[in-house]
Amino acid sequence: MPDDKQASRVKLSYRTIEKIQRTLLLTPGVLLYSVFNFIPLLMLFYLSLVDWPGIGPKEFVGLDNFAKVLTQPYYRDQMINALLQNVIFFTVIIGCFLIIGTGLALLLSFRTYGRKTYQVLFFLPYPMAGAAVAYLLDLFVHPRGPLNAALTQWGLADAPIPFLGSEDTSLITMALFYSWHRMGFAIILILSGILAVRTDLLEASMLDGASRWQSIRHVVFPVLGPAFILITVIVLVDVFNNADYILLIMGPEAGPLRSTDIMGTFLFRTAFGGSADTTDTNFGLAAAIGLLTALMILPAAIFLALRNLRKT
Amino acid sequence: MDKIFKLNKREQLLVQFIMLAWVAVVLIPFGAAVLNALKPNVGQVFREPFGLPDPWTWSNFAKAWVNANFAQYFANSTIIAVSCVVLVTFCASTTAFVLARMPFKGSTFIFICFLFGVIIPIRLALAPLFDIVRSLGLLDSLLGVILVQSASMMPVSVFILVSFMKGISTELEEAAKMDGALPFTLYWRIIFPLMRPAIATIALLTFVQAWNEYFLPLIFLQSEANYPLTLGLQRFNQQFSIQWHMMFAGILIMMGPTIIAFMLASKQFIAGLTQGGVKE
Repeated sequence: MPDDKQASRVKLSYRTIEKIQRTLLLTPGVLLYSVFNFIPLLMLFYLSLVDWPGIGPKEFVGLDNFAKVLTQPYYRDQMINALLQNVIFFTVIIGCFLIIGTGLALLLSFRTYGRKTYQVLFFLPYPMAGAAVAYLLDLFVHPRGPLNAALTQWGLADAPIPFLGSEDTSLITMALFYSWHRMGFAIILILSGILAVRTDLLEASMLDGASRWQSIRHVVFPVLGPAFILITVIVLVDVFNNADYILLIMGPEAGPLRSTDIMGTFLFRTAFGGSADTTDTNFGLAAAIGLLTALMILPAAIFLALRNLRKT
Repeated sequence: MDKIFKLNKREQLLVQFIMLAWVAVVLIPFGAAVLNALKPNVGQVFREPFGLPDPWTWSNFAKAWVNANFAQYFANSTIIAVSCVVLVTFCASTTAFVLARMPFKGSTFIFICFLFGVIIPIRLALAPLFDIVRSLGLLDSLLGVILVQSASMMPVSVFILVSFMKGISTELEEAAKMDGALPFTLYWRIIFPLMRPAIATIALLTFVQAWNEYFLPLIFLQSEANYPLTLGLQRFNQQFSIQWHMMFAGILIMMGPTIIAFMLASKQFIAGLTQGGVKE
């Protein structure tokens, strides 16, 4: 049966070609991702076990780096300081998001005039570059800047307040910068949570004679739980690795007097040193700190991933 | 139902008042930047930060653009952002296509590896990443930054595309396969056109992210000729930290394209960036 034979040969080669093409389609993405993202993440484990200033030979030291960071006072104190300040930073941000964000989202869900416009305006800072936002707000709250000029003019402050110059206020001010920048994102997430509340539930509550506030409290808020958790987790993962604002405004030394030091700046400083001409670089220790930070945010991150996976 | 979301006149007034208050919080810094970027000298900025410029000095922008190298920074940012968009849309869509539609032994493993990238931020691995980029000889080159930034966008993009693809039916592909179409044809003729909305989302996301990225260029670029706007602005700040009117002009040059794009397509921006933020 020559016909059959030919058919099967064609089919076989179709399979082969299909396999080759599939591999070719898969290769660029997998290669790009693994070389510049996945392999570095895996290498964290190895690098965290060596003593290596970033150049020259690597010396295997076992768990020494972890011991250093967790027990040696010089590093341990920095780590604890950064961690605590990171928690404060996070708390201020999440507080702003949940209180102001929920309030504004609730108001946006009412039938108000121009609520589409408000929504756009509220979101405006979010797409802007962190660098531009950082410098804009830095100048804005500067002792000689517009905010302090207005405050002193209206008699709200006797002298200009050094928001970013004092140890007491700089970390909070930084957290407020972050909140100002990303508030739009929180508002949109909460708003979509509110709008997703089933209308029949609300109608039922109205029929039962609930007031507006009662309906919001007992029907809308309980449904917002997942949106709140989602925002909390996203912010948590972000603020424990991203220290852009502080690097931009304060530099890796996270002044004044390290009062704005968080995990991101601590990690950066450990790897590349505090100033440009420093020789104090330690890639092994940086890998250990990176790994420890990853461990801290792992529960939150896994939660996020599982949630995404369920949706897929 | 109406009783909950409809407002009477007094409530309407109150709500409008609160909304406008927050609009002021959002817009006043931008407004201050615009006013002060047009002032002729820094004395005016300090004396009357909310006063009108006298005279209106549009040349600050030209000065920043020409004298402070912003033209170069702008070009570099554009090259980085556009290359990242091309690279990520291509690589993520092909990868997602294979993972979603042509599963094979090990495809779940690859998907989990991508999931790993969504879970752990690449910034935490800055030491090993630096090592790899250096040993490939890509330090201080635009290509290196483009590859690193693209790779950092891959997990999120693959995720968005795979979940989008799970939602579209396979009928068209089945029909094409019956006619003997091979994966290349399937991808280019059927999948890519079908995925267009999701690809637009990741293209937007990648562009904004690449344009705004500060940290990765900071680590990998040294010579000023390669600086994107984010690093350029930092350099500018070191040079002109006293010249506030110039600083404001520089900030506005950096924000300008984003503001224009956002105003033109605010709906897509809000939807796309929110989706990208959630997947991170």
